[in-house]
Amino acid sequence: MTPPVLDDADLHTILATALSGGGQFAELYVEQRRSRSVSVDDGRVEDLVTGLDRGGGVRVIADGRTAYAFTNLLTGDALVEAARIAAAGVSGSHTARVADLRTVEPPYTHPAAKNPSGLDGSGMADVVRRIDASARDVDGAVRQVGATYGDITQDVLLVNSEGHRHNERRVRTRLTARVVASRDDVVQTGIEAPGAAAGLELLDRHPPEDVGRRAAERAVLMLDSRPAPAGEMTVVLAPGSGGVLFHEACGHGMEADIVAKGASVYRGRQGEQIGSELISGVDDATVANAWGSYGFDDEGTPAQRTVLFDRGVCTDYLTDRLRADELGLPRSGNARRQSYAHLPIPRMTNTYILPGDDDPDEIARSVQRGLFCEQLGGGQVDPASGDFVFGVAVGWLIEDGQLTYPVRGANLVGDGPSILARIEAVGTDFEVREGICGKDGQGVPAGLGNPTVRIGRITVGGTAA
Amino acid sequence: MSAQELLGLLDRVVGRARAGEGVEAFGLDQTETTVKAHGGEVESLSSARRRGIGIRVVRDQRVGYCFTVDLTDEALDAALDEARDNATVGSPDEGNVMPAPQPVADLDPAQLFDARVDDVTPQQKVDAAIALEDAARVGADVTGTDTAQYGDSVRTAAIASSTGVRSSYVRSDAFVLVEALAGRNGSTTSAYGLSIGRSLAELDIEGAAAEAVSRATRLLGGTSPSSARVPVVFDPFVTASFLGLVAGGLTAEAVQRGRSLFAGKVGEQLAPEGVDLIDDGTLADGPAAAPWDGEGTPTQRTGLLDDGVLQGYLHNVASATRDHTTSTGNASRASYSAPPGLSPTNFYVRPGMTPPSELIAGVDLGFYCQQVMGLHSGANPISGDFSVGAAGVMIRGGEFAEAVREATIAGSIPQMLAQIVTVGSDLRFLPFGGAMGGTTLLVDGMTLAGGASADG
Repeated sequence: MTPPVLDDADLHTILATALSGGGQFAELYVEQRRSRSVSVDDGRVEDLVTGLDRGGGVRVIADGRTAYAFTNLLTGDALVEAARIAAAGVSGSHTARVADLRTVEPPYTHPAAKNPSGLDGSGMADVVRRIDASARDVDGAVRQVGATYGDITQDVLLVNSEGHRHNERRVRTRLTARVVASRDDVVQTGIEAPGAAAGLELLDRHPPEDVGRRAAERAVLMLDSRPAPAGEMTVVLAPGSGGVLFHEACGHGMEADIVAKGASVYRGRQGEQIGSELISGVDDATVANAWGSYGFDDEGTPAQRTVLFDRGVCTDYLTDRLRADELGLPRSGNARRQSYAHLPIPRMTNTYILPGDDDPDEIARSVQRGLFCEQLGGGQVDPASGDFVFGVAVGWLIEDGQLTYPVRGANLVGDGPSILARIEAVGTDFEVREGICGKDGQGVPAGLGNPTVRIGRITVGGTAA
Repeated sequence: MSAQELLGLLDRVVGRARAGEGVEAFGLDQTETTVKAHGGEVESLSSARRRGIGIRVVRDQRVGYCFTVDLTDEALDAALDEARDNATVGSPDEGNVMPAPQPVADLDPAQLFDARVDDVTPQQKVDAAIALEDAARVGADVTGTDTAQYGDSVRTAAIASSTGVRSSYVRSDAFVLVEALAGRNGSTTSAYGLSIGRSLAELDIEGAAAEAVSRATRLLGGTSPSSARVPVVFDPFVTASFLGLVAGGLTAEAVQRGRSLFAGKVGEQLAPEGVDLIDDGTLADGPAAAPWDGEGTPTQRTGLLDDGVLQGYLHNVASATRDHTTSTGNASRASYSAPPGLSPTNFYVRPGMTPPSELIAGVDLGFYCQQVMGLHSGANPISGDFSVGAAGVMIRGGEFAEAVREATIAGSIPQMLAQIVTVGSDLRFLPFGGAMGGTTLLVDGMTLAGGASADG
């Protein structure tokens, strides 16, 4: 996509203007985003919201400093004005010139097999109605159902002063179901939210009925839960549930901006055995049509697969252009931005703990007393210390190798390196989940995956005496 | 774009309303600057100009919404038609009505918009961020800053509707935010400090830096505590975070949809006498101050807890219509890209008489909770039960003692409100995640848990 007003001469003028203050690198990022969403809440279909957002941002870099100016008026004049503002924002003494633009094709593409526009407003409403109905069918204890269908078609044009130019279309589709069940005085929530860098084929893989039913089953299950015990214990993470823990506790600290600032517990530890030899983890933007995948990152580096921990050894950090240069590392293709209104920063894409050799069933059976985490809620980490906390949305107490009863109110508290070191078993199974990762006020789609994992001991915060 | 120009565009949209339909257009034109400093230099400078219009159509109690940033006549006409189409899909709801015009709240425009904001040069913004970082690098254990930034914005908002609503305002905002890093014996701590105002001239840069440094340094050497039931003193920012949970349950929409822990409790004593919770969109010093809300209703001061007794809930027009009452001016509008929601404005606990230092001095054994982690994942918004990660300092004999990390505190919102002992005299607004204002707060007996006494 190129806005009709911008031809090669315009692009050249914008980049040249951006470099006019002595910058060493300039880039123009133009984005058009067509979004649609509809929800059902309390039995009513509401908020069919559609819209067009678009804008462009000009970035200039000089000696590690950055200036960025963006506008959502997409004319040549407005973008040249943005380029002027950016040029004035960081002055330098470089005499960089704008190279001839050459179009680069993405190494990986994640095309939508079924264009979302094949579903009109009533079709979208029908999807959320089906989620609602299937959730209510599960049990009379279901009180509230909230469901959303959403799709985004994002067209990106990126050009830079080194002559790179690419166009990319990213289509993402997601369903979410949030179910509240209650019985007597107990109220519990169940959530299911599959998504993909794909179109309507998501609905084939995750029929709305399944999405509603799964969320409702979780909420109903948790009605029988008891308050979680507190203290240190062995924890088993179900496949898919541990991805968010790895993402937060280990992934963020491997992002090169955090490393460069000295705010990461993993800084300077490349090559060091930090975790158990059983644990390997990757960040992979190349997985076909996965929620966090793309062809190029948001500054034009091809999508890649990066190993973060190789059999427990801290390996490669996730970089963008700035931090790769600063730290003398390769560009890993992890520069991402929420939109044209944001600067690119190092972010995870799809972050996975890789499957191991252990029988998943045997992993829980081996635990005398512990916590089985079927689904984690959100979490948070302080990358400087590696300290994290996660809510356990759906958990079970393990006694003598059996899942005895569901528990509520549990959370996991610890720090990333210790957890990596205490991994005792890694299953052969594997599942993924999808989420929105927040950092510096920017939210981007992030995939999370893991096999069944056993952690020797971890602090569980609970409410039981 | 001036407010008049923006209103002109909105007039065009609502002028096309057909018989039997309500059309509302909301426009936003915003400029922003953010400067981050690191290592004594500008790390990044970002300058923005954004504008857009969102159109809401109501017909036969159904609502449709479409937004666009393309403000040409053709694009606006197309967006209106799309909003019309979208209004055919949803379920009818008696709450889907257009507000009638009302006089907006009496807020002095000079209190919302500080004209000095236009005179601040880019260099002065850069200097502010660098001065902030410099000031936050003072102290033996300070190792640096994670973030040191200055930001400002000027936001022109306008609204017009076919029912006769027509209004606009301009608000300026400025802030500095710094996160200081401290280190000792290989362990690192971090904490932030901030200052907010309507322009750079109102900001306390030194104060924000000193706040970040003292808060980060205080946490050094923290260890996981023994589990115990102790009085907890919440830092004003932590109190503000918890108020976010409370405010969510006090919206009428949450109540109507069975998602509020405060449902059916109007008139009940939920907190001790002397505890007041207030939502006030007319509070000029609050980050969310505005003369009207996201659908043109005047903002107001609403007492939610008065001497600890629940008075009612926050409303927009939809929730008020369903409850046969009037809107409290709490229709929220973060941007042009979403229809009006329902949120608090400036939501705060009315400060008491006790200075924080005196409040802490009165605690024999307790926990000063400076940070919580995972509040939004570790809390059940419906039951109000929470269990969150916490860091802070033990209080022994009225003084700060050893630092604490890898701890959790657990309890419930109703229990926490009921067990408020003392409300501090300080009030700090958090401009992020809703404009919540917290004080130092002493709450009796909460469960502090750590790994120290537990034996797997």
